[in-house]
Amino acid sequence: MDELLVGIVNLTWKHVVMWVVAGILIYLAIRHDYEPLLLLPIGFGALLTNIPFSSAVGPDGFLTRLLEFGIYSELFPVLIFIAIGAMCDFSPLIRRPIAMLFGAAAQFGIFATIVIAAMLGFSLKQAAAIGIIGAADGPTTIYVATRFAQDMLGPLTVAAYSYMALVPIIQPPIIKLLTSKKERLIRMEYEEQEPISKTALVLFPIMITMIAGIIAPISVALIGSLMFGNLIKVSGVVERLSNAAQNELANLVTLLLGITIGSTMSAEKFLIPEVGIVLGLGLVAFIFDTAGGVLFAKAVNLVLKKKINPMIGACGISAFPMSGRVVAKMALAEDPTNFIIMHAIGVNVAGQICSVVAGGVVLALVI
Amino acid sequence: MTDTVQQALKLMAIALPTMFLVIFLFIGATALLNRLFPFKGE
Repeated sequence: MDELLVGIVNLTWKHVVMWVVAGILIYLAIRHDYEPLLLLPIGFGALLTNIPFSSAVGPDGFLTRLLEFGIYSELFPVLIFIAIGAMCDFSPLIRRPIAMLFGAAAQFGIFATIVIAAMLGFSLKQAAAIGIIGAADGPTTIYVATRFAQDMLGPLTVAAYSYMALVPIIQPPIIKLLTSKKERLIRMEYEEQEPISKTALVLFPIMITMIAGIIAPISVALIGSLMFGNLIKVSGVVERLSNAAQNELANLVTLLLGITIGSTMSAEKFLIPEVGIVLGLGLVAFIFDTAGGVLFAKAVNLVLKKKINPMIGACGISAFPMSGRVVAKMALAEDPTNFIIMHAIGVNVAGQICSVVAGGVVLALVI
Repeated sequence: MTDTVQQALKLMAIALPTMFLVIFLFIGATALLNRLFPFKGE
């Protein structure tokens, strides 16, 4: 009989609070469609790990095995990058590579947040893992957190995915604050441009991997897997592999990644003051990213004859394609005939590459 | 100012220019790709 009551007897208020947290994540995923592919499994994983004496966690628990096998080994983030690469279309970027500058500027939040986190008493490695939330890129956050702050993996990942889902709420007020109506009304013509040659499409991922790899070899796993995924797509000769990466691989790893990350959200690791600070700093990172991108675009306008709409600077964060769509929508709200979606998406794609580069640079410099 | 904050500031001072350097290399190399291999109605 005692065996049957072990769960009830060992239940604490902390478990109940975590059930509520898990419930909120599941609710946000189902009811509000906030990153459901990740938040739903994360929420359920959190539930599984917060049942006293859960057989899903512990030395023989399948979630712990998955954590060791897939996360601590860095395998899942890398596999996800292959899938993302296979889904990415870098054509707008190859056509207009200058957009990468906006992507770089919008990574400012990462470094500003690292400094703030250090001021709040976190170690440099922890601060770096927190700052990387500003990459607005789940796999990069997980990859860096695995190296620098394994204990904070759960909250860091939840923060990254939650704020990515909240981009439509976070970015518009900051963009409005930093731009005038006149600036938001700036039109950007989209000239129909020639398609890109297949040779350029194929050489692009190889070239990016080589350059990033030579400068920061530690970034090869991240950028290399992203570019490998893209190469199998653009090569056109391994359609089966490309489809598998975009569908089966992406779905399977996302499913396992989410529930495994959820399993790190045990009450004793999650219900501590530091987690609240981490979640707050994640928001700070997103705010500084957005501000960095917009202010950089405004600075560029000082020297440009043909002005750009500074709102597109905000798309340099990696949250793709959400950020691009949000900015395009804002431009349409100001002027229903101002279509800047192609420019916004181009910068947004650049943000994807730049966030991985930023992650690689942080990995290389924080030892 | 603590040692960690100084390290974080130093990280920012090195990382940001490094990142921009990498991005400039990407931009230059991509522009070169476009020039060397223009679309010829494949």
